[in-house]
Amino acid sequence: MPPSAGLERRVAGLPVKSTGEDAVRRLAAVAAYGLPMVFILVPLATFLVYSFFWVDHTEMHYDVSLLNYRRFFAEETFLRVFRQTCLLCLEVSFLTILFAYPVAYFLAGLTGRKKYVLVMMLLVPLLMSYIIKIYAIRSILGGNGFLNRALLATHLIDEPLTIFVFNLNAVLLTLTVLLIPFAILPIFLSLERIPRNLLEASADLGASNWQTFTRVIAPLSLPGVIAASTFVFVLAIGDFLTPQMVGGQSGFTFGRIIYSQFGAAFNWPFGAALSVILAIIVILAIAIGARFGSKQGIAL
Amino acid sequence: MATDRTLLELKAVSKSFGQTPVLETIDLAVRDGEFITILGPSGSGKTTILRMIGGFIEPTQGSILLDGQDITAVPINKRPFNTVFQDYALFPHMNVADNVGYGLKVRGVARAELKTRVGQALELVQLGQFALRYPAQLSGGQRQRVALARAIICQPRLILLDEPLAALDVELRRQMQSFLKDIQREIKTTFLFVTHDQEEAIAMADRICVMNSGRIQQLGSPHEVYYRPRTEFVARFFGDNNLVEGKLAAIEGRYRRIETALGSLLCATEGQPELTEAPAGRRAFAVFRPEAISLEAPRDGNANHMPGTVATVSFGGASTVAAVHLSSGSGVRQVRVKMPSQVGGARIGAGDRITLNWSADACRLVLA
Amino acid sequence: MKRSKLANAALISITGLVFALLYGPIFVPIVSSFFTVKQGQIDWSAANLDAYVQLTSNEGILEAVMNTLIVGFSAVISSLILGTLIAFYYNSGTSKARALLQFIVFLPFLMPPIITGLSLLIFLREIDFARSLVTVVIGHTVFVLALVYRTVLVRLQSLSRNLAEASYDLGASRWQTFRYILLPNLSSAMIGAAVLAFALSFDETMITILVTGTQNTLPIRLWAMMRLGFTPDINALVAIILGLTTALCLIAARHLMPKELVQREA
Repeated sequence: MPPSAGLERRVAGLPVKSTGEDAVRRLAAVAAYGLPMVFILVPLATFLVYSFFWVDHTEMHYDVSLLNYRRFFAEETFLRVFRQTCLLCLEVSFLTILFAYPVAYFLAGLTGRKKYVLVMMLLVPLLMSYIIKIYAIRSILGGNGFLNRALLATHLIDEPLTIFVFNLNAVLLTLTVLLIPFAILPIFLSLERIPRNLLEASADLGASNWQTFTRVIAPLSLPGVIAASTFVFVLAIGDFLTPQMVGGQSGFTFGRIIYSQFGAAFNWPFGAALSVILAIIVILAIAIGARFGSKQGIAL
Repeated sequence: MATDRTLLELKAVSKSFGQTPVLETIDLAVRDGEFITILGPSGSGKTTILRMIGGFIEPTQGSILLDGQDITAVPINKRPFNTVFQDYALFPHMNVADNVGYGLKVRGVARAELKTRVGQALELVQLGQFALRYPAQLSGGQRQRVALARAIICQPRLILLDEPLAALDVELRRQMQSFLKDIQREIKTTFLFVTHDQEEAIAMADRICVMNSGRIQQLGSPHEVYYRPRTEFVARFFGDNNLVEGKLAAIEGRYRRIETALGSLLCATEGQPELTEAPAGRRAFAVFRPEAISLEAPRDGNANHMPGTVATVSFGGASTVAAVHLSSGSGVRQVRVKMPSQVGGARIGAGDRITLNWSADACRLVLA
Repeated sequence: MKRSKLANAALISITGLVFALLYGPIFVPIVSSFFTVKQGQIDWSAANLDAYVQLTSNEGILEAVMNTLIVGFSAVISSLILGTLIAFYYNSGTSKARALLQFIVFLPFLMPPIITGLSLLIFLREIDFARSLVTVVIGHTVFVLALVYRTVLVRLQSLSRNLAEASYDLGASRWQTFRYILLPNLSSAMIGAAVLAFALSFDETMITILVTGTQNTLPIRLWAMMRLGFTPDINALVAIILGLTTALCLIAARHLMPKELVQREA
């Protein structure tokens, strides 16, 4: 296509004859720009501003200060939980990738209908009610649950295990199980995009299966792996339902602390400040993921 | 056929996209009823001209006049022109009949009349049986004809064709070329055809507008641009032309001498006053077509002769091309000679010493 | 080159394990829904539909489901209209402003839902707008908007630009072009996006918890019941919902799949 064709994409914009059409267009423009502004940008801006307000014994003070942020860095609990949560989410990321890669690899190697049916089947669990899923996992891991009963029945243990009940381990396992499909998809897609003829060329040049994997497939699927880990990390760190439901007293995550500011603790500005910190981490994670993810890849 | 009346005029039109100039001061007058082809390589600006006439792009400067009226500000849908797009742009969700009738439908033409006129248009392009098919079920050539019918049915003042035959294979393309020409003669609408294929332009056009780098190089009949190029670009663009650089020398009646490294050549200057007005010593090229060169001794006195050695001979189907090294004077130069192929093989072979002859009338000049 | 038997076996086992992990939590409630549950123990003796029958008389749940449906439909319609509008806007210009607009649209989808929910919560409080189903609709719309917008935009961009130009060239007005040319070609993408958006909205919990008023939607109801434990009819509900959402997604896939694949299957 000649270069000129792509540079100007607008239909020759010319004075519209009828005022009716013009009015409709203006209204549409206002809606298109206005509504997202009002319902997305403004709340976020308010939220940010709110984080600088402060609460003194149930009394809201609307003047700006860095009190909330200082409190976050000063009090040991918050930093500790924050670090713990970040670490936890990294672990979740790692574990999901560990399980997800082989599955994605296997699926990408299938041909025909099987492949798409299985991929669809992967997505079905995501459609199930979130709360019920967590509840079901909790009961499976629980003292009287499936896992323990199976282990007891095969005499691998003598007493029901409680290490997976109402603590951070439970959160770790639950999040992992919940988020595996989200890890499989990006890896699957990046494996799919590797042109078959690269693999054929590798074999043609004498590489073994393992060598083709380590030298061709793995590096080219790296963007997918990075995308998957970023994806899972962001989803995990923002989840406050799962820790609330399976964390119990010892499984406290950052998300739960934020949530409690809007509940029992009733310190909205502080909660907003903590959320801002959460948002920063998320943005950082996305930025790192984007930077490392796009370096390699197939030139299409 | 073409009349002498000007239908559409581009006056001092130029176009830049941001800082990049694409067209530089174009003045073009399209005659009513003609088949005009805008010819040029990629990036020459030919498509930009077509899109400006159609209204898809606005000129940066200058104006577009229809029957003397300024239509530069008129939107696409109000201009009485229709376009046949390069990729046909048929509406995939409508069948052939609905596609062809679209222009009438949006104008509010009554259903009965619409049906009749669609039928007529489809007959004209010989697709009467395909009314209910969908574009996906048609071949490239058939889609092309639907696009044409869709444009014709609205009875526009001018039909714009944006390299419509580019996607077709050679044989089909030739058929479509004569088909388009026949249709144009029949409906007598002005056609403005954009292409990069010089053979196509010569075969179809009443006039060819040769473009390069955003400028018009030459505007004239196929015969004129082929045999009397006015710029070096046009000379080189058509076929494998021979150009020999030199300096203008004495005028001899209807001819002029040019001193080249290969010796003195005599060239015709008829119809190009700039060639006689240019001062002696001015840099120019002698231009002569490969098929104008003969191996026989000339019959009249006004001829150019040049001895040389055959380098290669290539069989190309209908014609055979020989590359000949000329070694007259102080220069060595390769010149192409085209001859009709012989069944028994070419009469000359590599290494042969021969004399090339071409008439001065077949030798033109182009200012450098 | 063919994979070694060992490698193949390893891959298949891991895949099998993962599928078991994913489907385990699903099977538990669904299978249980067909049996009676007494004091946390499943009575495997006789399969029955008691749980399903019980569900029909659970007014609280049914009302919650109805609310969820209302919210879902409303969110889908508003996100469709707004998303299509913004997609056209993005596609018709080259200004920097539209890149900013797109970024704003993507934010609620990229950010953790807790932030979207909290920001809306704070905003609503400051402008004194009471929380209700309306605010839930707003929250869901904002959440699924990115998906709808992107789906429509991708389809819009894939339509040859020439189609709109050809339409204008033949004399159609902007509205005629939209109605006769663009809309028919966008409809399948819009339907696919709508169905996906509905499925997402149905199960959306985190934003809902934060901006909901007194009327319960299903996730809220379930969240509240979590402490007390779930009654058997919840199992039935889960089974039904899973069946429905799966069916919905198959429909969506059909509409969003490129035409070539669909034709090949036919």
